[in-house]
Amino acid sequence: MEDWLALADYGLRMTAEHPALALRGLVKRFDAKMAVAGVDLTVPAGSFYGLLGPNGAGKTTTLSMAVGLLRPDAGGAWVLGHDVWADPVRAKQLLGVMPDGVRLFDRLSGAELLAYHGLLRGMDPAVVNQRAAELLDVLALADAGRTLVVDYSAGMKKKIGLACALLHGPRLLVLDEPFEAVDPVSAALIRDILTRYVTGGGTVVFSSHVMEVVERLCSHVAILADGAIKRVGTLDEVRGEQTLEQVFVTVVGGRTATGEELAWLSR
Amino acid sequence: MAVAVTDAVSDVGAARRVSAWHFVRLKLRVLGNNFRGQGWRVGLFVLGAFVGLWFAAFGFFLFAAPGLAGNDQYATLLAALGGGLVVLGWFLLPLIFFGVDETLDPARFALLPLPRRTLVTGLFAAALVSVPAVAVLLAATGLVFTAGVFGGWPAALTQAVGVLAGLLLCVAAARAVTSAFATMLRSRRVRDLAAVLLAGAAALIAPVQLAAAAALQDADWDRLAAVAAVVGWTPFGAPWTIGIEVAQGRVWAAPVKLMITAFTVVALLLWWSRSLESAMIGTASSGRTSTRSPATGTAVTQLFPRLLGWLPRGRFGALVAREARYWWRDARRRANLITLAVVGLFVPVMLNLGSAGLTGGGGATESSSPVLVTLSMVFVGVLAATTLANQFGFDGSAYAAHVVVGVPGAVELRARIAAFSLYLLPLVLLISGVLALLVLGQPGWIGLTAGSLLATFGAGLAVNTLLSVLGAFSLPETSNPFAMNSGAGVARSLLAILSMLASAVAVIPMVAAAALLGDVWLWLALPVGAAYGLGAALLGAYLAGDVLDRRQPELLATITPRR
Repeated sequence: MEDWLALADYGLRMTAEHPALALRGLVKRFDAKMAVAGVDLTVPAGSFYGLLGPNGAGKTTTLSMAVGLLRPDAGGAWVLGHDVWADPVRAKQLLGVMPDGVRLFDRLSGAELLAYHGLLRGMDPAVVNQRAAELLDVLALADAGRTLVVDYSAGMKKKIGLACALLHGPRLLVLDEPFEAVDPVSAALIRDILTRYVTGGGTVVFSSHVMEVVERLCSHVAILADGAIKRVGTLDEVRGEQTLEQVFVTVVGGRTATGEELAWLSR
Repeated sequence: MAVAVTDAVSDVGAARRVSAWHFVRLKLRVLGNNFRGQGWRVGLFVLGAFVGLWFAAFGFFLFAAPGLAGNDQYATLLAALGGGLVVLGWFLLPLIFFGVDETLDPARFALLPLPRRTLVTGLFAAALVSVPAVAVLLAATGLVFTAGVFGGWPAALTQAVGVLAGLLLCVAAARAVTSAFATMLRSRRVRDLAAVLLAGAAALIAPVQLAAAAALQDADWDRLAAVAAVVGWTPFGAPWTIGIEVAQGRVWAAPVKLMITAFTVVALLLWWSRSLESAMIGTASSGRTSTRSPATGTAVTQLFPRLLGWLPRGRFGALVAREARYWWRDARRRANLITLAVVGLFVPVMLNLGSAGLTGGGGATESSSPVLVTLSMVFVGVLAATTLANQFGFDGSAYAAHVVVGVPGAVELRARIAAFSLYLLPLVLLISGVLALLVLGQPGWIGLTAGSLLATFGAGLAVNTLLSVLGAFSLPETSNPFAMNSGAGVARSLLAILSMLASAVAVIPMVAAAALLGDVWLWLALPVGAAYGLGAALLGAYLAGDVLDRRQPELLATITPRR
């Protein structure tokens, strides 16, 4: 019993020392607007972490600072113990990222884009070829052939973006709105791949404002509003007795239509 | 319910008609909001306005000169040729250099229930609100002054009307031409036709230049005046000469010339409105026919163009392959490349032929000196390198992929230089060959022309690589490769001037050597120039790469278009 406790304690300290992603005091200000006002977040290795928040809460800004796309005004980010801003090379090797609202190099075809990403990461061409073919096949993109990514549908663009993030076998995946504008079939496919990735020892952090997806997938949840973390913990800790949606609406606060306004819509 | 909605729509339609004034106000509001909290944008705008005013003042005194001098002999000449040059500039410069201000992107209006006529007049009116348009208007008041001096109030008034018509002509020309070419460059079928047309347009400058040079040489003002009289009856010169005609007693000419102008403006607007529609739909699909042909070969072999199969299969090779594909697949980059090829070929030819005409010597060979040849090559090299001044702006937010991976700056820049050179080096060799063989008739000078070009090109690359890291700006995400954000035109010109100055300074040794060393230089120029250019480019990539490593996220932020 004592041994077991010691072991558990050791394990806890290990994860405490090297969480998959650690954010400390992240601050970002755009002109007069405080976009992110001091975010602390610890994502344990092996977790499926959902970052929830209404539009404009600072989700994208936070994740951009976490992966090295946007320099924070204060604070820092660590990927498995490697400082993203001080030791970017090591941190970025362990990291797979799918940003939202960012273009891909979309004048390449899907296969070309994957090859490009793989070689940029310094991977062996043979490995790139094999993984690219497999990813295109699994994500049902192989049929697209030489179609340029710019001509892909929104769902296909998400899928090829995910493939680019997965190609080098990262230990941590950071996905900004992976389920936005994706049809149910593709969404199920993406969910499936991510679940398998976590089961295999990877860690996923993703942002969303769709409660359903988060409730179904995540082991941990953080609710972000007005640039600050409002609730954080395991899924059960955060939602308690209520549904996640109830908690979210309470935390974020919002108005519900009374039926008085917009009367002209129902004439 | 459906009835109610239709009622509402017709209510709105009846209550308020959308006039051009709405578009003008919209543009002013967008401009104003762009300035909010962006000190440097205000700075750029003020600078642009200042430069515009300076040109306006210069133009005013030029156009007013006959009036000030009290001599109406050359009034028509100045008005027709000067005004004609202005119109020609509005036709060609947006294509070749400046692009058009697309503060109001036509695609944004695609969903609004606006008749096309309203849209065209509205966008047209909004396009009139710009620094260059105001500058032309101010400059052309010089014509009104001249007309007033010789013809009194009636002439001045007619000329004022003519100036306004001329301004409409200029703006309509710029819009119609860029919009039409944008459409052409988007579609695969007529893309090459567009290139040829552009070449033809640029080629038009050559005879004009030659005629001007020949005329200046003979100082045959009367013959030139005859040419001007003819130009005065074309749309290029018609609007600017109306007042002079009235002043000189040919009142009947005024309505005819006004008709010529009005007809041209209408024709241009109709042309614009045709291509506008495709520009509005253009954002939904980029217009490229998607080829569903099955891919052959592995992913990596597909990335590398067949001609570049020898590139190493690594970071550098992948970057070069992607850049090489982008210079052709991205409409904006392709437009740059094509204009560069055209201008790069014609300007040195014109310059050297023109100088032959100017100095009055019999053949070009006698009058063209190594220094002049070197200088014209410097121009081409600098111009070519300037294309890279905003190379990261072409990528836009896609550059995020490089930041996520953490591509080393020096590797990235070396690869970009290499890919651009793949297109440019053949062109450079072609230009130097054409110049040395056909224009100068001196095969022995190929070394000189090629050497100067390579040196300038390399030095220019070094300068522009650094500029592209430090002075990048975002380009709008529209389907029009000529579109610029408001203020970006000034930024681009500033960058270009800066890079041209710096590159020109960097190649002073080459020019000095051409002037001092004499015939030995004809042999030394090629190896020395090539080594100089290569060394400069590598050094530039190394230095700028260091800067890039430190400010990747900042660069990404500056080139990501604000939405």
